[in-house]
Amino acid sequence: MSEPYLLPHRERDRRPIRFVAFGLAMVMVFSLLTVRLGYLQITNGRTYATMAEANRSVTVAIPSSRGLIYDRKGRLLVANVASYAVRITPADLPWGQRDAVAAQLGALLSMQPSDVLATVDSATGSQFDPVTIKQDVPKVTADVISESVSQLPGVSVAIETRREYTTGTLMSHILGYTSQIDPATYARLRASGYLPDDAIGQAGLEASFESVLRGTYGQQVIERDATGKNLQVLKTTNPVQGASLTLTIDTTVQKEALRALQWGMKAAHLKRGVFIVMNPQTGEVLAMVSLPTYDDNLFAKGISQADFQKLATDKTQPLIDNSVQSQFAPGSTFKLVTGSGGLQDKKLTATSKIRTAAYITIAGTKFWDWNHQGWGMCNISCGFGNSSDTFFYQVATMLGSERLSYYAHAYGFGQPTGIDLPGEASGIIPSNQWKVSTFGQPMFAGETAQAGIGQGYVAVTPIQLINAYTALANGGKLYRPQIVETITGPDGQVIQPFKPDLIRQVPVSAANLRTMRLAARASVTIRHTYNLVDMPVKVAGKSGTAEFGIRDKLGRLPYHSWFVGWVNKDPTSADFTKTDSQLMFLAFAYSANTIGNAATEIAKDFLQIHYHIRHNYLIPALMVTGNFAGQG
Amino acid sequence: MRVMRAEPGRFADISSRTVGAVWRAYDLQLTTYAALLGAVGLVMAYVNTVEAGQSALGNGSVFSRALLWSGLAIVVYLVATAFNYQWLKTFAWPIYGVNVGLLVLTMAIGDGVGGSARWVSIGPLTFQFSELAKILMIGVLAAYLGNREGKLDSLVAILGAVILIVPPWILVMLQPDLGTSLCLLAILAGMLFMSGASLIWLGAGAAAVVAAIPVIWARVLQPYQQQRILSFLNPAADTQGAGWQVQQAQIAVGAGGPLGVGLTNGAQANGQLLAVRESDFVFAVLAQELGFIGAVVVFLLFIALLWRVLVAAWRSKDSFGTLFGAGVASMLLFQVFVNVGMVVGIMPVTGIPLPFISHGGASLVSIALGLGVIQSVNIRQQRAQW
Repeated sequence: MSEPYLLPHRERDRRPIRFVAFGLAMVMVFSLLTVRLGYLQITNGRTYATMAEANRSVTVAIPSSRGLIYDRKGRLLVANVASYAVRITPADLPWGQRDAVAAQLGALLSMQPSDVLATVDSATGSQFDPVTIKQDVPKVTADVISESVSQLPGVSVAIETRREYTTGTLMSHILGYTSQIDPATYARLRASGYLPDDAIGQAGLEASFESVLRGTYGQQVIERDATGKNLQVLKTTNPVQGASLTLTIDTTVQKEALRALQWGMKAAHLKRGVFIVMNPQTGEVLAMVSLPTYDDNLFAKGISQADFQKLATDKTQPLIDNSVQSQFAPGSTFKLVTGSGGLQDKKLTATSKIRTAAYITIAGTKFWDWNHQGWGMCNISCGFGNSSDTFFYQVATMLGSERLSYYAHAYGFGQPTGIDLPGEASGIIPSNQWKVSTFGQPMFAGETAQAGIGQGYVAVTPIQLINAYTALANGGKLYRPQIVETITGPDGQVIQPFKPDLIRQVPVSAANLRTMRLAARASVTIRHTYNLVDMPVKVAGKSGTAEFGIRDKLGRLPYHSWFVGWVNKDPTSADFTKTDSQLMFLAFAYSANTIGNAATEIAKDFLQIHYHIRHNYLIPALMVTGNFAGQG
Repeated sequence: MRVMRAEPGRFADISSRTVGAVWRAYDLQLTTYAALLGAVGLVMAYVNTVEAGQSALGNGSVFSRALLWSGLAIVVYLVATAFNYQWLKTFAWPIYGVNVGLLVLTMAIGDGVGGSARWVSIGPLTFQFSELAKILMIGVLAAYLGNREGKLDSLVAILGAVILIVPPWILVMLQPDLGTSLCLLAILAGMLFMSGASLIWLGAGAAAVVAAIPVIWARVLQPYQQQRILSFLNPAADTQGAGWQVQQAQIAVGAGGPLGVGLTNGAQANGQLLAVRESDFVFAVLAQELGFIGAVVVFLLFIALLWRVLVAAWRSKDSFGTLFGAGVASMLLFQVFVNVGMVVGIMPVTGIPLPFISHGGASLVSIALGLGVIQSVNIRQQRAQW
């Protein structure tokens, strides 16, 4: 190229105007920026200064330590143990280093970096609330992270306390568990001081006593500097430690109940069962076992999605507390209600007899007795003792559905007992009103007769059933079953001492209750319950077999078996006119299609263990599966 | 003396002139404004270091690294001034090759976050070659367009310049570095405009770029880049990520008021809220601490510097000098506009550094190189005769 600048070019001619245009663009750019700057700093400077000032102090919650749980003998059931949680405070994580920090943290915690960022970004709280990335991190990892915080801005290791359930699976349904609060619950509870990554009671006592156990979180208002380092604490409100619970549960008795139930379930190949022990004088629950169960420590440690799915989809429903959350047909155990009502309404007396037979006919339908032959002329002791179905069909028919329903409600059926556990079922007690509102028709006579033997529409929870029998044993006082003995403040002061909570006096006279108690003893003495009478401890009680579900090929129904009984204060005393019993027990075996009553065998096993009886009264032959017409 | 065929008769220009003549041609104003802006950058580096609770001269602190880079920038500036810029025309193609090579190297061995590769570590220092690429491309384009004077009304010459920039542009996009790639486009547009190329073709090109925007959005932009632009368009919708950042920056700027809260005082009021405070959002800290007055003074320094760059371009008697100056001016103006615009909330977040003031050695050294070349143009030229 030769001296191009000497030649006139159109480009060169254009350049002066382009320089001017560039200069104008420059002036416009800086004018625009200056105007915008003026708008922010001069027009709105005050507003922004106020906003900046508000950002200066940070309120940090100080978690309170959650209350502990003891059994009635002071044995620690739920402890708090230290665990390490890795958290990120979004405000302290520089925008430009997010990816680097996530990558490094992901490697340390064996998580995907994208999951780390997703966790941070899905947090609903303010930028200053630390977001828990992973809980229950091993100490080694926690130490590595603590030492490299300078390369991990915004990341912190918090020593958290996590719940430890010292008895493992033994009391899972009673104690429940805590786990991280879900966003919906957090949105509802944030006003009461919950943090976005807080733990909250999700089941059992952890849920129903959440407010008591949690205590009150304190808070610190902190002034921070550029790096997020705390400059000074402006204000501190100390946390109030949660109160502790002492339960009515006796770990020893709970273990005995579990052992007996596990033996019975194994022997009779059962999937689900319940064993409850109560003190009829107070309504205290001494043991309450529902099988199958789960380990609440799984939840406390932060359950994996896979583990949770496994529990939630298990057909035997280990997460359900069968003792309070499920309802079943009570079968013959319900004859307590029918018998008490018949006596009280003077449809029969302690001695009056009713003709029992193979079957009775109501509105053209045959209603069979369980033994298909009846017991001839029978009084209440004979009817209740042999569990005669035709006897109680007639009593129920004499009472009518409304009076039957009245006495059932009086004994606490058809409504939650009010035990301190979440998700309690109500059960079903059919009445005309119930039948009309449910099916649009009144009760038929046959249905009332069925209800009289605890079949048909009747459904009860195991806790309702044992509680009704405690009223029988103690002379008519229906207490609210309680599982928490005392609530103790952090200073050791008892906040709430134990007090029996009387729901009502059952509207059945003392004499009639005495008649029913003796009938319950007769059930044992006439060997309806086989060799139970031979045991050195003297039991009164009632067995039950309740059909449910779908008939098999031979037209037979599967059935549950029940046994509910008690011993006197002196367990060797056979005088059941007394009302001093301190031990009531209930066994429930779900779908126990055994030759004998599986629940009765389980109850016997419990008594043998509880009273250290050397001789073995168990009859293995009765536990053999073989569907037969229920014994009643 | 006419051995070098490409540049006849230009070698002796310094030696044939007196020291006084060289000194008179040397633009002391340009040096002064650049030095003042560099000083502002050092002050901000100091402020950010102290506010981060580190000792100013501590090992690896932002301030000590800024001092190191400033020293290097001065050396680069002096060497570039002394170096006869005419060689750049001769070696335009090798320079282009080196430029592309460095970007490929960055892709190969570069570090970055989340799978990206933006900087290369050299001993204790890291260097972003994409910053250097901008200046090198200005040189390459100035040589290319300067050689085609008289042909710039043809589409072929314009397309040639576009094709030249495509390989580095793609390499930068792959890093991915949206800011630098936009900056390369701004440099290309500015230089084509200042070269005097036909407005019809430039307009057509601009229309083509606008038409390509939907395709670029869907195919080229990373999700995070889309997110930034969306959050710019609707900052209230994203109070956690980029939108939150912009909001905090505006609070910081606004809180500065007319006079500012004073150096090293800003962070206490707003401190931890502002991420990337020493790099992309440094202007927010500056505006908060020095206020409207301080920010306008910085604007005036930029205007003065741009003015001197444009004067050098105007005075250059060969097109290379003119176009090189135009390229540097385009780059500076674009970066100031986008960076400050982002901080005050009128531009989306794109990660473009503020010249001189954002912390980053590559940016500072590259600018020093560019200004050094312009100074070299100054002392080797007489007033253009056109």
